[in-house]
Amino acid sequence: MKVMIIGAGKLGTKLATAMLNGEIEITIIDNNADVIETTKNHLDVLTVNANGAVKGVLEELKINTYKMAIAVTDNDDTNILISSMAKKLGCNYTIARIRNPEYANQLAFLKKIYKIDRIVNPELATANEISRYLMGSTPFYFGDYAQGKISLVNFNIKNSAHFVGKQLSDISQIDRLLIVAISRNGDTIIPNGATVLEENDTLYVIGQRDKVADIAKELSAIRAKKQIKKVMILGGGKIGFYLADKLTKNGMSVKIIEADRNRCKVLAETLHHNALVIHGNGTDINLLEEENLADMDAFIGTTGFDEENLFMSLRAKQLGVRKVVAKISRQSYVHIIEKLGIDLAINPVNITASEILKHIRGGHVVSVSLLLDGQAEITEIIAAENLRVLNTPIKDIEIPQGVIIGAIVHKDEVIIPQGDSVIRTGDRLVIFSLLSEVPALETFFRLKEGRQ
Amino acid sequence: MNYKMMFKVLGYILLIIALSMLPPLVIAFITGEGDFLAFLISMGITGVTGFGLTRIPIKKNVIKIKEGLAIVTLGWLFASVFGALPFYLSGSIPNIVDALFETVSGFTTTGATIVRDVEALPKGILFWRSFSHWIGGMGILVVAVAVLPMMGSGGFHVFKAESPGPVADKIVPRIKDTAKILYATYIIITLTEFILLIFGGMTPFESIVHTFGTLGTGGFSTRNGSIGAFNSSYIVIVITVFMIMAGTNFSLYYDLIKGKWRDVIKNSELRLYLGIIAVSVVAITIDTNLSFYHNWFEAFKHSFFQTSSIITTTGYTTTDYEQWSTFSQGILFVLMFVGGSAGSTGGSIKVMRILVLIKLLKRELTKILHPRAVLSVRVGGQPVTDDTLLNISSFFMLYMLIFAFGSIIISLEGIGLVGAASAVAATLGNIGPGFEFIGPTQTYADFSVFSKLLLSFFMLLGRLELFTVIALLTPKFWKTEL
Repeated sequence: MKVMIIGAGKLGTKLATAMLNGEIEITIIDNNADVIETTKNHLDVLTVNANGAVKGVLEELKINTYKMAIAVTDNDDTNILISSMAKKLGCNYTIARIRNPEYANQLAFLKKIYKIDRIVNPELATANEISRYLMGSTPFYFGDYAQGKISLVNFNIKNSAHFVGKQLSDISQIDRLLIVAISRNGDTIIPNGATVLEENDTLYVIGQRDKVADIAKELSAIRAKKQIKKVMILGGGKIGFYLADKLTKNGMSVKIIEADRNRCKVLAETLHHNALVIHGNGTDINLLEEENLADMDAFIGTTGFDEENLFMSLRAKQLGVRKVVAKISRQSYVHIIEKLGIDLAINPVNITASEILKHIRGGHVVSVSLLLDGQAEITEIIAAENLRVLNTPIKDIEIPQGVIIGAIVHKDEVIIPQGDSVIRTGDRLVIFSLLSEVPALETFFRLKEGRQ
Repeated sequence: MNYKMMFKVLGYILLIIALSMLPPLVIAFITGEGDFLAFLISMGITGVTGFGLTRIPIKKNVIKIKEGLAIVTLGWLFASVFGALPFYLSGSIPNIVDALFETVSGFTTTGATIVRDVEALPKGILFWRSFSHWIGGMGILVVAVAVLPMMGSGGFHVFKAESPGPVADKIVPRIKDTAKILYATYIIITLTEFILLIFGGMTPFESIVHTFGTLGTGGFSTRNGSIGAFNSSYIVIVITVFMIMAGTNFSLYYDLIKGKWRDVIKNSELRLYLGIIAVSVVAITIDTNLSFYHNWFEAFKHSFFQTSSIITTTGYTTTDYEQWSTFSQGILFVLMFVGGSAGSTGGSIKVMRILVLIKLLKRELTKILHPRAVLSVRVGGQPVTDDTLLNISSFFMLYMLIFAFGSIIISLEGIGLVGAASAVAATLGNIGPGFEFIGPTQTYADFSVFSKLLLSFFMLLGRLELFTVIALLTPKFWKTEL
């Protein structure tokens, strides 16, 4: 399968990295020679230094032989133009990134008139994730799969006596649930029954939705449970704007700290009156404290600087703010975040990459999400008739290390797989795998004869 | 300044004034009460002068901001001077200053009168008095904008300078069509009230006079006792409702016709306007019932009427509200500074400005708590620009300054502070009756010539929203630009 990515920015390269395996050939186009040079040196892809919005360029690359074109340049209008052209020139599936908040209400219309198959808005998706986390009744991050029948939750066990020092096989709370991964000091561990839990481990638990909800509730009862009412957002960029808009519409009061005066004015003029826009530098701790940072129920760092987001989130945590979220764009910080005790570190690029990836894994893949800052992913697939591993007890299948079948949904019944569970045609599978094992997963679940 | 163009347009305005003397002329002819000749001569003088001015040859067919402002102010002055001719020539008002005062009061929809016995005036004159309310309510210049092709884009300067409220908005792309839509709406509402009042037992003549007085938010009546003289609750209620309608932004009626009733209901100026009326009516009803009427319906009827009459700056009365308690009178006095909505025929400060000022105040209070906060003032979701905020604040300041200094000057008459202050408030706000010396049972007849001229000036100032007239008084205005 051939995929073309136009724009070698953060999202473009992230997508290329996530997709790279034996099955997919990737072409990256960018009109910045330096960026292309770096990409060429780091990724095993075909790089083209050209303007992707030029018809001749697309034709020369034989766009009609490509299964997918992803337009992720930094300009919305260019992305629309490229996707629309690529589609017209015979590309099978086109994706455009559109992030201008003013266009947010007309995406469906744009899709229709420009014949774009999918529009992604990383900032909006990120804001949605954060607000979902804030509005959820649990202090944990939740993800739903198999049409909401199966949930994945991750939480830090801190020093809870229920967990610390115990072997997984001894833990009673997680009956009929599966711990698919443990994140410890930034490393990801695929556990087995003998794994012993340590303080501050983060568990990734998968299982039937209400079961997961139960354990989440049980755990949240230990900690203070209060609804989030007051939120401080650092940075009034696109994520800050979308988030403030969504939270105020849900009745929360929001304070936005933004350094650019003109941007402040725009925010003040467009946001609901429950949003108070403060002009000031986000690193000015006196300002934040004057604006009652300690009184906030949640603090979100969404500025363009990871360091600022991290540092100020840490400060907020120290002051006792209950939910602290930081937007982190760079991979290399993931280890630090774990240690700092920030509740949720969110990477807009990962969220969007997840969204796009599910279209790449063939027709039967329902959804893909990246976890652990892209170190692992959850894939949801529907078992096709000619899948090689059908009707064999799981203990007899040689599943690669680092891949776990988290749940099987068989005719509306959720099965947490045991050794003798069997996959049948039409079952929905929720599979957890380390990113390094994704190519193995691809071959493992390959169909008996050819691909669809 | 393009003087030739300016006078040419003024000529057309005089032709419109001359034309508008036709209906009273006809009425004077039919009733034969001796004012026919006065109208004929007045129409002749106005028409000939106007025609003469329109013959001025012009080189440049351009109306810029300066010409626009001058045309509006001088247009109103010309209309008042020539409009005073019938009063003077017919002998109904033998004093020329009094006649001028009465005409300015008419065109500016103030309704302040120097006539002690209205019922003695001939019908043609009574009609002319009220007709001037009707024309002045929507705007003399709006007519010119609507019918004169030569105004072109310059028409907007004129329209802006004359239309009431902080921001003038076109309803439809072309200014000419906007003016036509506004007048069409105005005429439809006029016909409705005219018919409803006839049902209430008024003669067609009295009905049309009071319709003009209501919709222009003027206040001239055919009776010495104003609306109270009709002794009909039906008439009181109908006029109350139409006064409130006249004090509403006319573009809302257009929205209503277009089916955008949701927007109308959500309109924050309309809500505040109706809210102020509701709260005042409830307070005054309770107060006057307990202290004066001891009858809920009577108390409600009179307080509803009087509240609406004052806030819309109409100035009709059904009762001598000076017999009410000080509390109720206090509310009425404060309402004199509120006025109708922007884009209505009402005068005074306007609800829109009050609304923005309240929001501005709220913003400044928030700023004390959050010195670094960036806050926008929004009306109906739309941000109000800093320029507009500044304009509205200065308008309010200027209004209060004129009120303060005007009160001091008028107090030289030795008529008591309340009388003097309310005279300025009532003329500046285009209301009409005030308190004490110019209370609902009194007239402006006893003022000195100087005060009458000053109060006439205040009426013009108020109707043209201060800045238009004040700009003309600055020396800078008359300097030739570089």
